[in-house]
Amino acid sequence: MSELSRRSMLFGVGAVALGLAGCSTGGGTKKASDLSGNSADSMTAYAVGDRFKAGKPLTFTTLYDDNTNYPYNKDWLFWSEVSKRTGVTLNPTIVPYSDYETKRSVIIGAGSAPSIIPKTYPGQEVPFIASGAILPVSDYTDLMPNFKDKVAKWNLEGDLDALRQDDGKYYVLPGLHQDVWPDYSLAVRTDVLQKLGLQTPTTWDELHTVLKAMKAAHPDSYPMSDRWSIPTPGGNLLNLLGQSYGTAGGWGYNNATWDPNAGQFVLTAGMDQYKQMLQYVNTLVQEKLLDPESFTQTDDQAKAKFTSGKSFVISTNAQELVNTYRPALATTIPGATVVKIPVPMGPAGATKMGSRLENGLMITKNARNSPDFVAMMQFIDWLWYSDEGEVLAKWGVEGVTYTVDPAGDYRFTPDVNYVGLNPKGTKNLQKDFGFMNGNFAYGGATKLLDSMFSAEELVFQKAMGARKTLAVPPPYPLTEDERQQSTLWDTPLKDYVTQQTLKFVLGDRPLSQWDAFVGEVKSKGGTSYLNLVNKAYQRYKGKKG
Amino acid sequence: MVGRPTRGYRVFQVCNTIILTLVVVATLYPLVNIVARSFSGEGYINAGQVNLIPRGFNIKTYKAVLHDSTFWTDYGNTVLYTVVGTAISLVLTTCYAYVLSKRNLRGRTFLVGVAVFTMFFSGGLIPNYLLISGLGMRNTIWSLVLPNAISVFNLLVMKSFFEGMPTELEEAAAIDGLSTYGTLLRIVLPLSKAVIATMTLFYAVSFWNSWFGAFLYLDRPNLFPVTLYLRNLIAGASGTGSVGFTGSDAAQAAANIQSVTIVLTTIPILAVYPFVQRYFVSGVMIGAVKG
Repeated sequence: MSELSRRSMLFGVGAVALGLAGCSTGGGTKKASDLSGNSADSMTAYAVGDRFKAGKPLTFTTLYDDNTNYPYNKDWLFWSEVSKRTGVTLNPTIVPYSDYETKRSVIIGAGSAPSIIPKTYPGQEVPFIASGAILPVSDYTDLMPNFKDKVAKWNLEGDLDALRQDDGKYYVLPGLHQDVWPDYSLAVRTDVLQKLGLQTPTTWDELHTVLKAMKAAHPDSYPMSDRWSIPTPGGNLLNLLGQSYGTAGGWGYNNATWDPNAGQFVLTAGMDQYKQMLQYVNTLVQEKLLDPESFTQTDDQAKAKFTSGKSFVISTNAQELVNTYRPALATTIPGATVVKIPVPMGPAGATKMGSRLENGLMITKNARNSPDFVAMMQFIDWLWYSDEGEVLAKWGVEGVTYTVDPAGDYRFTPDVNYVGLNPKGTKNLQKDFGFMNGNFAYGGATKLLDSMFSAEELVFQKAMGARKTLAVPPPYPLTEDERQQSTLWDTPLKDYVTQQTLKFVLGDRPLSQWDAFVGEVKSKGGTSYLNLVNKAYQRYKGKKG
Repeated sequence: MVGRPTRGYRVFQVCNTIILTLVVVATLYPLVNIVARSFSGEGYINAGQVNLIPRGFNIKTYKAVLHDSTFWTDYGNTVLYTVVGTAISLVLTTCYAYVLSKRNLRGRTFLVGVAVFTMFFSGGLIPNYLLISGLGMRNTIWSLVLPNAISVFNLLVMKSFFEGMPTELEEAAAIDGLSTYGTLLRIVLPLSKAVIATMTLFYAVSFWNSWFGAFLYLDRPNLFPVTLYLRNLIAGASGTGSVGFTGSDAAQAAANIQSVTIVLTTIPILAVYPFVQRYFVSGVMIGAVKG
């Protein structure tokens, strides 16, 4: 066996050497501002309103997230139209949607990633920063007039600050939204409401009343049985509630929450609002209005209960409503109607929260050394951030896939369909033309987003649009050491809070033990974590001046 | 066991039957359920009302999937990768195992050690990726069939099998003038059908089911095996929830299509299994008894 272990050591040394070699390839980049050797084929005067046109035909490599519902096709009009307008051919590396993130990590780690890496959610870029494999894009926004224009016009500086790392730079170009764009809410069976003479609930208290009335009419059922609880229990429900109560929960849970009055971060699980939220859910469970399995069951189980008429309220987004609930209800319960209601309001009032940044793209460090770097940045700016590029990626080509009516509204041409907006169309905007393919269009102006919604979704968006958008919390960029330290506290703490939250909600632990719980959270690293976060925030504030 | 079975034995038999029946039900139910789903209407599936018998019978989905050219391209790829991969693996494993079964081989412990070492240690994802890229095997069939062509577990099973073969046979063959290769090809292999059938099955199933290598090393959809197609289909339907904030592109793949694809993908393996199974049992047993 000694022979073996000596050999394994040799292997180990080899692996380390390989790792070091991998790291060192990222170095040797020139100063950020010196672009003299990288401006080939770019446009000297490129500004908002200009169409990017390369000096000679260029090819840029890009990662491509391939969705089964509209599988990649090299003959799509999208590719040829982009080439026709800009002279740029995109050469995609096709990655199946199922494991996009895994492959992205591997090929970035191996140093063979394409220049453009789309479909990256803010926060996902962090693991790649230390290795130096991706470009601090904030150094190059001067090359991107449309991007800068939209950031200024929609007042997105604050949102962008949240992306900044400890070096003050950000490494992902996010999709930009003009306004917060909520999608998730609750689906309610309106035919049941009507039969019982109830109004659509607008607040969580009204929802409570409605559920009680439903329970009275159907005593042997749980009127609400929720989904989206794996891996985060109550992912959507607690997220919505958290926002309404002025705290955070479910998908949106974070151990530290910004308290604007105190001017610092506080422990989320120690907030009074958090306790009130748990109190509310606990009441629903105690009165048997909310199925206790809501927090542990699979989506399929929850969907089955809702679509077979055993429950009447469930979490939804626009797609699930149209693609799952309605078709299933149509076969099982004739006459059943279901709508997505505007998110019920809570103590925080008519507000909405959320980032206006969507997933975006990373740029590989190697691309910086290419002679066509400037041209590439201009191209990216045009395709992802200019009005023309956004319309192209979403709606396609005027006269082929869409027309503009005199009022300035977009309409599909008669034979083109997209998510059922034009049911008579025989061709599919995504499958047959490659537009709206999820890789080349994110965010955009509210008008452009709305243009692709169904009439009923527009009603929802209008109701939500009227609410006040809360400011995003300030950033607290961590240094490399701090990040490692914080992970050690952050994850176990989150797990603990999740676990105890469930206990409080389901009544396994009485809320009278709340103070003891807060003490436990603090002693389990909560205080240290909070200190770290506040220290980082103060440092950021100091730097910014 | 002459005469009436004892009471204890009868109790054991009853318990045994009950437990094994439960195991059969637990194993068979998901399969029957998938088949039932594949013939059912979408609404009934989403409402969770399909169990053992299809409801809202439809075969439109079968027609649709069978007309999908991507599905057939990928299916063809899978067959190709499975056949080539299994052939390569069988040749390499047999040669290696046969050599290792010779006790008079010098450095035998070392050669076994080299193989066993790879069972416990591997380079990891990124070094492997770099290696495959460096060898220029990305986007070729070789990236799938060459790495891990020898499964150490199968190698050891085969080695034990060869060790159990009477040496007198081979000595007789040598006296009659057969070379080493002649002995292997004309004497040993014809006597090893059981283990070879078993290995073929093991390798074929693993190549048929594998998707990770293809996902990692192939960048062009026309090279993908059908397992990747299937995985993408299933993830496309269930991945929406975990993202939290989705774009509008994550449309649902119909539950019905998933079931149909699963059934179509499983059929070949299901069809081959009964024919290989009798070798399967004896082959593994023979290898396993010898230590």
